[in-house]
Amino acid sequence: MTEPRFDEVIHAPTRLAIVSLLAATDWADFKFIRDGAGLSDSALSKQLSILEGAGYVMIRKAFVGKRPRTSVSLSKQGRSAFKGHVAALQQIVASAGTSLRAG
Amino acid sequence: MCYGAPMSEHRMESSDAASELAEIARRQAGAIQAVLVPRWYWWAVGLLLLPIGIAADSHERPYAPVVVVAAAVIIAALSLWMITGAYRGVRIHPATLGSAGPLYIVGFVWLVVGVTLVVAFGLQFEGIPYPGTIGTILAAAMLIVGGPILMSRLRRAMVERSAATPR
Repeated sequence: MTEPRFDEVIHAPTRLAIVSLLAATDWADFKFIRDGAGLSDSALSKQLSILEGAGYVMIRKAFVGKRPRTSVSLSKQGRSAFKGHVAALQQIVASAGTSLRAG
Repeated sequence: MCYGAPMSEHRMESSDAASELAEIARRQAGAIQAVLVPRWYWWAVGLLLLPIGIAADSHERPYAPVVVVAAAVIIAALSLWMITGAYRGVRIHPATLGSAGPLYIVGFVWLVVGVTLVVAFGLQFEGIPYPGTIGTILAAAMLIVGGPILMSRLRRAMVERSAATPR
């Protein structure tokens, strides 16, 4: 059972989009996340730096032939934080249902 | 109506929390949709099986073995491109796919291979001409029809399993 824990880092809309995409995946290319989240290269780089700083994502740079390729994956800590955040949101929604029924 | 959640001391409207959950579910559904094997893959593999069946029936050397090996290599490369995630630049997380996911995929492949072999050898045993060709036509039809159905089932299962889905 995941402990509900609201996470301000994940809560920001752009980071929520990025982490939600990554949570379903093992890893994803920079381009895939950029297109999926509808961000520019620079905006995505900025948000990934924040997530990396929080220890939520791992960024790997490699070369495929002569082309640089950046792939991103959610770290164990990031996955745990995401699950806690989702559980917190579900708890808020569930509490509202309970209080409405009680009222 | 605000909630002071003890886990974070964060106050949030329930409608905002519901919207955020819906947004997470939408993003995850998008990622899941992207990792599914596209319809054209099933057509490509199905059509690539046909020269294998035709070559197996022709017994013409050296062309038949070359055609079989070439088609098999292309199918293997195409499949590897899909499985590794290189096609879309993303690979699904095992937890999202679930433990039953790989079993469904392997089971489907074995079903197609098994039915094809049984039909082809059965036809050969009965002395019916072109057993390999008929067998691979059947395999192609199974892939083209069954592949997208399998992907649809997997997509539904993965979306239901994703984190934001209410349980």
